[in-house]
Formats: sequence, C-alpha cells, structure tokens
Amino acid sequence: MKSTAILCGNSATLTGHCYSNNPPYAFARYSSASCSSAPWLLAAVFANSFFLTQWNTASALADAPVARTAQADIEFFEKQIRPLLVERCQQCHGEKKQWAGLRLDSRDAIMSGGDSGPSIVPGDNQRGELLDRIRSLDADVRMPPAETGEPLAQNQVADLARWIAMGAPWPTETPLSKRKEDLWRKHWSFQPLRASVLPTVGDDAGVKNDIDRFVVAKLQEAGLQATGEASRKTLIVRTTYDLCGLPPTQEEINAFIHDSSSDAYEQLIDRLLESPRYGERWGRHWLDVARYSDTKGYVYGREERRFVHSSLYRDWVINAFNEDMPYDRFVLLQLAADQVAPGDAVSQAAMGFLTLGRRFLGSSHDIIDDRIDVVGRGLLGLTIGCARCHDHKYDPIPTADYYSLYGVFANCVDQQIELPGLAEKSVAEKSESTDLRRQGLQERIQKLRSLTEIARVDANKRIRDRIKDYLLAQREIEKYPEVAFVQLTGKEELIPAVVRRWHAFLAGAEHRSDPVFTPWIAFSKLQDDEFATRSAEVMKQLFDGSIAINLRVAKAFEVVPGSAKVVAERYASLLAANDLLWQSTPEVDRGLIEECDRQLHDAFYADGSPCVIPDEPIMNTEWYWDNATGVKLWKAQNEVDQWILQSPGATPCAVVLNDSLVQQDAYVFRRGNPATKGERVPRQFLKVLSGETRHPFANGSGRLEMAKAIVDPANPLTARVWVNRVWQHHFGVGLVRTPSDFGLRSTQPSHPELLDHLTSQFISSGWSTKSLHRAIMLSATYRQNSDAPATVSERVLAQERDPENRLLWRSNRRRLQFEAWRDSLLATSGELDLTMGGPGTDLFGFRRSVYITIDRQFLPTLLSVFDFANPDLHSPERSETTTPQQALFAMNHPFVVARARKIVANLDASAAVQQLYNTVLGRMPTREEGLIAEQFLVTAEQATNIDSANARAAAWSYGYGEINEAAGKLNSFTSLPHFNGSAWQGGSQLPDATLGWLQLTSRGGHPGNDRQHAIVRRWTAPENGTVSIQSTMIHQSTEGDGIRTFIVSSRQGILKSISLQNREVDLSVAALQVEANETVDFVVDIDQVLNNDQFLWSPVISTLNPVREEAISWIAEKDFTGKPEQILSPLEQLTQVLLISNERMFVP
Amino acid sequence: MPSEHQAIEMSRRHLLRSSGVGIGLLGLAGVMADDNALIAATGDGASNSLTAKASHFAGRAKRVVHFFLNGGPSQVDTFDPKPMLEKYAGQPLPQSYITERKTGGALPSPFKFQKYGQSGLEISELFARTAAHADDIAVIRSMTAQVPNHEPSLMLMNCGDSVQPRPSVGSWVMYGLGTVNQNLPGFIAMCPNGYPVSDKANWQSGFLPGSFQGTYIDTQYRKIEQLIENIRSPHATTDIQQHQLTLLRKLESVRSQSPIDSRMEARIESFELAFRMQSEATDVFDIQGEPQHIHELYGDTVHGRQTLIARRLLERGVRYVQLWHGAGQPWDHHGDIEKNIRKNAGEIDQPIAALLADLKQRDMLKDTLVIWGGEFGRTPVSEGGTGRDHNHYGFTVWMAGGGVRGGVTYGATDDFGFKAIEKVSTVHDLHATILHLLGFDHERLTYRYAGRDFRLTDVHGNVMREIIT
Repeated sequence: MKSTAILCGNSATLTGHCYSNNPPYAFARYSSASCSSAPWLLAAVFANSFFLTQWNTASALADAPVARTAQADIEFFEKQIRPLLVERCQQCHGEKKQWAGLRLDSRDAIMSGGDSGPSIVPGDNQRGELLDRIRSLDADVRMPPAETGEPLAQNQVADLARWIAMGAPWPTETPLSKRKEDLWRKHWSFQPLRASVLPTVGDDAGVKNDIDRFVVAKLQEAGLQATGEASRKTLIVRTTYDLCGLPPTQEEINAFIHDSSSDAYEQLIDRLLESPRYGERWGRHWLDVARYSDTKGYVYGREERRFVHSSLYRDWVINAFNEDMPYDRFVLLQLAADQVAPGDAVSQAAMGFLTLGRRFLGSSHDIIDDRIDVVGRGLLGLTIGCARCHDHKYDPIPTADYYSLYGVFANCVDQQIELPGLAEKSVAEKSESTDLRRQGLQERIQKLRSLTEIARVDANKRIRDRIKDYLLAQREIEKYPEVAFVQLTGKEELIPAVVRRWHAFLAGAEHRSDPVFTPWIAFSKLQDDEFATRSAEVMKQLFDGSIAINLRVAKAFEVVPGSAKVVAERYASLLAANDLLWQSTPEVDRGLIEECDRQLHDAFYADGSPCVIPDEPIMNTEWYWDNATGVKLWKAQNEVDQWILQSPGATPCAVVLNDSLVQQDAYVFRRGNPATKGERVPRQFLKVLSGETRHPFANGSGRLEMAKAIVDPANPLTARVWVNRVWQHHFGVGLVRTPSDFGLRSTQPSHPELLDHLTSQFISSGWSTKSLHRAIMLSATYRQNSDAPATVSERVLAQERDPENRLLWRSNRRRLQFEAWRDSLLATSGELDLTMGGPGTDLFGFRRSVYITIDRQFLPTLLSVFDFANPDLHSPERSETTTPQQALFAMNHPFVVARARKIVANLDASAAVQQLYNTVLGRMPTREEGLIAEQFLVTAEQATNIDSANARAAAWSYGYGEINEAAGKLNSFTSLPHFNGSAWQGGSQLPDATLGWLQLTSRGGHPGNDRQHAIVRRWTAPENGTVSIQSTMIHQSTEGDGIRTFIVSSRQGILKSISLQNREVDLSVAALQVEANETVDFVVDIDQVLNNDQFLWSPVISTLNPVREEAISWIAEKDFTGKPEQILSPLEQLTQVLLISNERMFVP
Repeated sequence: MPSEHQAIEMSRRHLLRSSGVGIGLLGLAGVMADDNALIAATGDGASNSLTAKASHFAGRAKRVVHFFLNGGPSQVDTFDPKPMLEKYAGQPLPQSYITERKTGGALPSPFKFQKYGQSGLEISELFARTAAHADDIAVIRSMTAQVPNHEPSLMLMNCGDSVQPRPSVGSWVMYGLGTVNQNLPGFIAMCPNGYPVSDKANWQSGFLPGSFQGTYIDTQYRKIEQLIENIRSPHATTDIQQHQLTLLRKLESVRSQSPIDSRMEARIESFELAFRMQSEATDVFDIQGEPQHIHELYGDTVHGRQTLIARRLLERGVRYVQLWHGAGQPWDHHGDIEKNIRKNAGEIDQPIAALLADLKQRDMLKDTLVIWGGEFGRTPVSEGGTGRDHNHYGFTVWMAGGGVRGGVTYGATDDFGFKAIEKVSTVHDLHATILHLLGFDHERLTYRYAGRDFRLTDVHGNVMREIIT
C-alpha cells in the first residue's frame, strides 16, 4: 500500500505531525508536501485502499446533484470561475483557512456564506456580499485585500457577475468536507452500542457462552474451526499469569489437575479474582495507560524531582481493581475526585492519574497537552493531541475541540493536599512518632505558606510600582518569550511571565470592553511614529459614548496624550492615587468608596489581576518570581516534599486538581503556538461525542462535566475502549488492534458484534471488570489450546485463511512481560515478598515489580531493554523485542543467578533433576529430558573445574567485623553491601549513613568508624594445602593515632598483629597449613581515634605444595572484583538454563 | 511491534527480521561487511530490527562520530575569530542580548588565530593540531539554539526538542540504518568518570524501541565488565556458558513440537548472539594490540584512549559513537576561561587530530561523519570579568568527512560573535543535514506513535547543501 505523506503545515515550535501510516520510508511519491498546499493532497490520502472502500459507499449515498446545469455553463465555470476562486480567494477562504468563517470552495459553502451572511444570491448579480466586496472602492473593505495583490480585473468581476446571473453553476460533486463527514458519520466506533443478535451456530458443541457463538460463527464463515480445550496444566498456568502475573505453585497445579468437581475451572477463576495479586497485575496494566512514574522527568536543580504522591496513586489503583470498583466510578474519581468525593480522603489519591504526568520544566501548555492525551487516548481511544496544531487529519476533532479541553485543564490548579485520615491506616506505628512527624510536616507547610505570603505581598507591590513599565512592555511583547527559560532575573527587572500575564489580561479586557483599560487598548493600536498625529482621532472614537469608560480614567484622558508613554504614566498615577485613597480610607468606610474607584482598585487587587500573583503552589506560579524568590520558595516546598518522602509515617499527601478561583477563556493557539492566539473557544466536550445537544460546560472549569460525559453510558467509546483493553490482555491482541486509537485510522474490530455485546453486558453489569474477566475466561474461546490444529490440512487451511489468528482458531501463546518474568523468578525461588503498597522499591529487591520505583528521567536500562512501558506518555501496548541485551541480562546478571542458587539450595539432592523440573516448570521431565539433564550434570562438572580466574576472584570476600583479641578471632563477618565500580563500601555515598567510612579497594581501604567496624578482606581456602602469604602494610599519615592490623585464621587464630602509623610494615607468613573452607582475614580497625586511618594493604597468597601441577597465586589486587560470586555448580547451571528457557518465558 | 499473533510457519527471512538479530546466523557476524550485501542477505529489514537497512538514497556517510563538548564551548576562542572584540575590550557592546546571567563588557579572545591549509580556515591555537585538517572541515558559524539553559539545549541538540522527551539522533539513525555488526551495540555513548548533565536522556530511544538506545561506556575504566553492563558473567566461565547454551538448545529441540514458533527460535538465537557479543566486545575495547605509533598518535590519556576505542568501534561496524568530554559539563566556562578552556582543548585537540588522520589513512574519513560541538556557545561579553555566559544566539559546530565539503565556513555571527546573522541555522537544520549525509530525507524518516508520525526534525529543518560535496 503506497500513499502520500501528509505533513502538518505548522511552523510553530510545539508538536509533531501526522503522516500516513506507512513503513518509515516506503512512501516516496510526493517528496515534501505540506498541508498548506492544495486540497488535492488531502484527496490523495483518501486514495489508499481503506478509504477507497469507504469513499465509494459514501459517494453512492451522497445527496442528489445541487443543480442541473448545461455542459456549457459548467465549462464556463471550470475555465473562468474556478481558477479565479482558487487563485484569489481560497487561500484565505478554503480548506485550510476560513477567514470570517467563509469558505469559497464549494457551492454550498458559498451559499451559506460567512459571518456576514450568504455570499451570493444565485441568479441575482446585483446582490450578495461577494460582489459587494470585490466591487468596493474602499481599500479596507475590498476583496481580495490589497496585500494579496491587485484588485480583480474588470473582466474577472464581470465573469463572476455573469456566473452568478447564470445561477452559479457548479459541477456535481460531493465536497471534501461532506465526504469526510460521511466517513465520520458511518465510522463504527462513533455508533451507539448495538444490541447484537446472538449468532446461531449449527453445532452447539464447543460453545460455552455467548462469546463463543460470535467467534464460532466467524470461524464457520471462514471454514475454520476452533482448536480444542487446553490441558488443565496449561489452563491453570495461563489463568494464573493472566489474572495475577505469577506462576501457579506446584500444589495449586496438582490440586487443579486432580479437582474432579464439575465447576473446578469456575472456582479457579473465582479464586484468582479474589487474590490480592490480581490488583497488582491489572493495576500495572492500568499504570501503562496512566503513564505512571514516581518522578517528574527533568526538573531544574531547585526543585525536588520525586512526586510525593505517586505511590499513593499506584496503591489506590491496585486497590480499586481488587475491590472491583465499577469502571465508570474508577474513571470519574481519577478525573474529578475533588468534586465527586470531596470528603473522602482515600479517593483523592485517584487524581494522580492527571497529576503524575511529566512536568516539562513547568511549561503549562505541555503539561495540559499531556493531560489531554492521557484522557483522549487512555479513556476515549481518540488521538485528540493530534488537533493541537490543526484540525485532526482524519478524525472529527477540530482544533477548537482540543482547546475546549485545554480550557478545562487551564482553569484547574494543582494542589497538594494532606490526607490525615490515611496515616493511621497505612502505618501501624506508635502514635507518638506519627504525631511528631505530622508536627514536623505542619511546621514546614506553615513555613512555606508564610514565605509565600511575604513573597506575594512583596512581588505584587513591585508589579504595581512598575505598572508603567509593564504596560509599555506590551508594545514590544516579542522581547518577552512566552515559554520562559530560566533567566536569572533580579527583583529590579520586569518578569517576562508577568509581562505575558498582562498581555493575556489585556486581551480579556478588550473582549469584555473593560471600563478601566479600554483607553489603553485603543491607544495601544497606534504605532509610536503615528501616535501624536492619530491620538486625537482615537480619543474621539473612545469617548463617542459607545463604550462605558471608568470615570476616573476618562478624566485622566481629558487631554489628548502625545505618546504611549504618557498613556502608561497616566495609568500609573491613577493607580498610585487610588491606592492612596484606599489606604487612607478606614476599613469600615471602604463600602462607601465610589464604584469607579472600586473598579480601579479591583483592576489592581482582585484575584485574576496581573498585579496579583495567584495564591497557588509554586509549581503553578514559578515563572512569576524573580530568581532569588523562586529558589527560596522552591526550597521551602522541597522541605515539605522531602519530609513527606522521607517519613513514611507522615501524613500522606495527594496532588489533586481544583478548579481555579477565576475562570479564564481559552483561545485556539494557531498552529499550536501560544504566541498566536486565534478564536475564543468555550469549555465543552468533544463535538463528535456530544452531537447536536452540545453546550458549554457551566460549572467552574467544567472538569466534572467532562468526566461525566466521558463515563456517560451513551458515550460509545469509553466502555468499548476498556472492554477492548481487557480483551487485549487476555488474548495478547485486542478485538480492535489499535487499543488507544478508535478513530478512522483504527482497524475494524475483528468481531464488531462481539465487542458491542461484551460492552453492553459490561455496562449492565455495573461496569464490573471482574464480571468481564469471568465472561471472557469462561468461554471456550479463551480455553483453547495454543498449539496449531493437529492435522496438516487443517493447519495449512488456518494458516492460509487467517495467518494472524484474528478469528481465534486457537489461543495465542504469549511472552511474559518483564514484570511477570521477574516476579515469577522470585516466586519460584520462594523469595517473593508479598508486602503490598508503600513507597517505591528496588529493581533488584524482593517485592513485586509493580512496586519498583519508576524514574521516568533515569529509567533503568534494564527496563527499557525489556520493553517496559514508556513512562513519558500513555502506552497502549508494550513492544516485544528480542535482543542480545536481554540475553546478556539473563545469562550474566546476578539477579537471575541468585534465584538459581536459591532454588538449588531448597532442593533435596537425591532427586534433584525431577524436583527441579517440578519447581521450575511445574512438571516432571520427560525421559529424554531427564537423560539430557543428567548427562549435562556429568559433563558440566568438568567445565567447572577448568575455571581459573573467576575461581580465584571467588576466594576473596569483603566485609567488616570486630576483632576479639582475647579469643584470637573475628567476632563476626558481614559482607559490605555496595560496590561502586572500584570499591566495596556501605552505600553509594562515603561515609555511609550507617556503615560510615568502611571501604575496601583493590589495593587498600579504610576501617569503619569504631572498633566494632573493623574492615576485613577475607580469603577462603578452596582446598587443603600449604600456602604462603606475602604482604606489605602501609599507613601514610601523621595525623590521628594510626591503625591496628591483624591476620586471623578461622582455625588457627591470630597469625600476625601490629599497630602502626605513618610507616610501612612487612606482614608475611612463610608457610601456613590450611584446610578447605578455612578463612584467613586481613583486618584493620581505627585503633582509638577515627582520623586519617586509610591504608594500603594488598596481600598475595600462593600455594606451596600444589596438589595440581601448577602453583596458584591469589593476588588480592588482581582478583579484586565487584562481584566475588562463586562459580555456579552444575545443578545451578542447569537451573539457570531452565529459568531462562522458553517454557518459562512463553505462556501457552 | 507486538507480534503475538505468530504465524505457524515462518520463512527464514521473516524469522530473521522478527528476531531483530538475524545477521549472526548467517555467519557474517563481526565483520565489517558491505551494508548492501547485508541487506540483500537479510531481506528488507523490519523497521524495528537492528539489522542493516537501506536509506532513502545512497548516503555519503555510513557512520557517525560526535565529539560532544558538553557545557558549551566558546566560539570566539576556537573557530569564529572576532578581532572587533579588541576594540570594545571591557566596553559594553552596541548590541547585547538577554542571556542566563548578567554579563559585562566585551572579552576579547586571549588566543591567537591563524589561517590553516589551502583553504585558509581560521582556527585558534587551542586547536592547532586539529587545524592540520582544516581542509577537511566545514565550520558552521551560524548555529542557534532556543534557550541559554544547558538541559533544554542538550535535549535539543541530542533529541531535537527542548522540552518534550524524544528519541536521540543516534536512536533515529539506528532506526533508519540499523547496524552492521550484530555482535556490538550499534550506538555507543562514551563519557569518562560518569554521566554528562541530563544523563542517559542524551542517548535515549524515547518512543522508539529500547534496543535503539545508546549504550553507555564509562571510559575511566579499562576492564570490560566495568565498561558494558552484563557483558561478563561473574559466576560462569565461557566454557560453562557454552555448555549451558548447548543444553538450552538441546532441551528446546526435544520439547518443542513442530511447527516452530518463530519468536521462541529467535529468543534462543539471541542467547547465542549474546554469547558471541561477549568476546567481540572484549576484543574491541582492548587497545593493547594497537601498534606503538597509533598509541602515540592518540596519546595515552583518557581522551586519547576513548577516541582510539571509537575508531575501533567504527571500524567494526558500529553506527554511531558519541564522545563526551566528561561527567557534568566540563566546557561550562563561567570563570577564568583562558585557563580552563586551554586545559579542556588541550585534552581533546590531539585525539581529534589523531582520529581525523587515522580515519584518513584507513580510507574511512570519506564515509565517516565527524561532528564537533556542544549544546550552545558562549557570550563574547564577559561574565565576572574572566568568564563567558551561555549563548544560544550564535555558536559554532563543525563537521568533517562523510560527504562534508572541507575548508569552508558556513554562515556568520555578527561582528562580535554574539548572534548568528548570516545563514542562520537551527539545530533542526543540523539534524536535517546529518540525516541527509546518511542518505535520509529528514521529512520522510518517520515513526508512528501516539496517533502521529514523528520525525527527528519535527516540522522544521533545511539541509545545509553548501557544506555538502
């Protein structure tokens, strides 16, 4: 399929653009066409096969011809009129632009005209706007406008008049817009849900519920048949992974296989749905939709980069699934919990759905775009974001609709709120410490509030004091960038964002003919060089009585101003005078202040005035401050955030949206560029989903109304989209294959009637997701075998007719996603920690993967390598790549190996291979497998023995303990937990919070802070024999009191000991008999004082009477490694192989 | 991407493609083979696979090496001489622009410029060795960025967008061209001592598959297991792993019923490929075997070593190598620029010159694109008397090799080197040019995501045709 690329013709900086859905560079027909080109381009898009089919239908049903016209008339039109319209009119009144609401590219459009009425009256060449305009002598009125070229020639005007007199003949054609509308009207996903008639399938065998009727009917149509039911083993593995993301245990498998009750399978599904593991599995599917992350993405250094409320949201999602919260309520709370359930602390967490998006360095346009996208694609399956710069290329989403939703979010404020009710629930701790923590939080919040208040008073005053400058800055607005960069502005400078705020405020003032600012706005139209000459004229219009002007302002303009500067100065002194009046009026008397003075006061003091920095959190206001103040406020905010993050017992916080105090109109940003504002748009829901009855939202931002419209059962998308997602996660692919795009570019559902049937049932079940699971999983379709049909002929037939298994003639074998694979490893080794909820945890820890900290800025490579959902944007589905990097992880990373070791440690050696198969694969090995495994164990042994370098490294370990001189031994040995690439130590920072200065490098190290924390380099003898130890101990500092050093054998006690400072000592043992597993420890402590205790000491141990032919040397410096792992035993090697096998990775 | 609906029987070609790894199977691994031959051997290459793929047209460059002087190198001290600054020394310039911080009067460059080569390209003494290759270099003096802040500018320069998270240039190239040597990562970012500012985001794959992201190498280390994640097993020898993989293959073959699920086969092959990658990677990072004169050419410093490794990588078919100067932002010279820039330039002048000479003597410069630059430039006016502030209004990037016209300058800044005024070029223009040299029409290299087709240059970008031979 080849077709042309359609580029967006936008020149603004903001968003990407839309091309046809093709392989990356397969379409070469038109090199670089832009949308601003002719309409044929759009037509070309429709010329791909999908649209072609649709189009034919559409054309066939198109309305009857608009007028029957003689061939000659049409020729006249084509020769004289159409080129004229195309060349001189349609650039501004065509497909792309409709100035004054007028289009001149179809007869209908010309007839209906624009803002000022019909353009022509067919048959009457004296009347009509079109002729009036082209004939006008007034250059300001005449069309086409002077800047586009010469007026129309006399003969062209005459041609037009003639054409109109002929009755405006226009060849019969369905206008493009009509064709589009037709497509839209017919598009499947915009249709209301249809009650589906259950298909009758001749043979009832193999039909377990309604789903199967739909599936079997289609299969029969194609001459195919379903594969039979999978084995019980397969069923329990499949269902357990599907619902809980974990493998079934050996006992669960056996119990199910041997369960003879007739409803064993139903019971299995019920048990799994009741498991708390279910919410963790399906919660994670939702977190993909919600582009979940625990961090904000890149932020400047002044701002805490972690969210305080992410884990609360994640836990709320998990819990909502476990409770089977009705999906409509689930969605409603995520969009508007502040209004749906204002008193319910738990529900507030839901709004993380909106507030956990990337922060885009505080750029509100991008933050809002992200919210529109997550709502659009996530909930509605509509790519609304495509309409940011231009009308959607394919779907009925005009740019105006995008900005209608933009208006909703632009009138909302992020608020961090405390949820005291949750503290006791989440942490069972002594109330005393909880109280302390809460108190600590309160103190920090108070500090933040008072600092903010002081800063506001201060900054507001600075704005008012410089009103003249802020007004004059409007005349060179281009110098103040809309998207601010961090410019370190001082208190004495104009703040660019405040200049821009004034700009927006004055735009609004102009729209509502504000009595105070009307003169400024009128004068602001004059350029500097014409000001003096034209200001009197402006004055005259201003005061002609048509617009109410504030009395005080009017008085100030009794004298014609000579320059913009004078105008600004007058405003400045008006303010100062008004301020004085206000301040000098006692509060009780302020009610008596005259209306005109009150207006002035409001202009400068009311909420929404550009002189009043909104009383909102710094995250909403950061661009309004000078640099020093901004940093100070962020610091105070960070103290709050960090307190919350560091003390799990502190009151949990949610970040919710609230509607703004003052609602502001939204404007279309032409080409997505906020600097070029277009028409005002009301806040309202999408046209395509509202039909004729659409009306602007009436309450506040309209967010609640939007949310209700989204979950309205009459909305054909929301429930369908969710049902399809659930289906997708059960079958690997949705009935609709583009789960987040149900628009015109989506594929038809494979089973449209089934989708509607399931969706209707879903809604009538009270939007119960668990009921939906039950319906799907109890079907014979779901229970099918994933193997191909048994006979070759059936296989070939199925392959030929439905190679992608869209008709579901078998079950799809599915590869585990990263989380399920990781969790399954931990589950198999018995190490999985099932603690639920709380702050994010370590990737290599033992908790379930859903609790791993997701840092969208520094997403661990491992996660991206394993196709984890991109946390920057809503993810409809995971990629599935197979790469060597994945293999390297499975082969070499300690995480997998540690699981293998643990599994082996749990085995009973006598029947190791059988047990291993049971544990890892949940089955006995076949005879052949048993033989291969046993043989491997024999040959692998040899492989282990020929190892050298790794074995030497494995003889060393690195830890700490306390020397017991009296007993001649080390009291304990604990391994150091952290390796930083060149040293073992307590943590990534040195000193570590708990283990202090403890450190070992290849050549030396540093003891811990006290004698209980002596640093220990340990050598473990691999076998009996005699060794020599050579070592030199160096301490190089004169500061402090030096160190104590010991060489200690676990069997023979202290071999050497010495205290030293600022000198070099030979510490060697000529010959030492050792037994296998005896340890020799090289121990250093601080002596008395922690001061300059670093040392160099790197021993070499060599065999003296080797059993083998060659002597072996263990050279501490050379053998030093971050991973002093033991070589895997043959059984461990076998275990690792089974763990990474396809049988573990693919669910049948 | 999600290919959960596997076909029953796969053609070999399809199998190779869907695995994303195919080449190793054909016995071509590890050799620097001709891209076109590989394409012929492996089919047309699915968009998500790593195999070598054809570009839109025959590209002049087959691989890229990018010296990233993170922090923002000063143009007026390196490749954009401005004698007028002398005249205004210490004085405010007639035209000054808002930058991140307050700046003072003009700060003339303390470094001498000289004409080099036949072309007479003017280069400062800081890059005297690099200057020996003046006739191969095209200096773009009219670069601009969008804001004078590091992080957004790094994102713009590396990923084509200041604010929105997008795939990096290297990832786009991987997506477009794939990579030749399947035993090595195709896109490598090297930086000694830790990450640059913005960390891994600089070589992120964004919405492209994770396999296209850059692999990070901390070149302060010398051991292979410290260089590449998971490249060595600490608990198994290669013999053991060989045994394990044989066992894995054996067990799969006795278990799997016909017909084969191609994804399962591909997965087993990916283990075998990873196994080979271990030895190939070890080899390429081991520079011991290089002859003495090569060691001397590059110099025995961390940058010398890093650049020599880069050459070895390119030679073995790695597609895109980024060489960062160091952790953080070493070229951020807010104070005492004379001393600091001398130190930094001194660290890379020799390695850059060495690489250019070495590539040339191996006849690789003709199809290797070398890029030099930072995320923006610096002000010609002083910050605090001895330093320079960030400057996004005008700065320099140069390119050489891979179809670049040598010995030319392109565009110009004003008399003081503050603002680009002639042939003003955006980062999108630079990216369009890079893609062009690699054989791509930047408007047609697109990836569909979130309902839209994205491209590296968004809706911008004009190829700078004058610097292309």
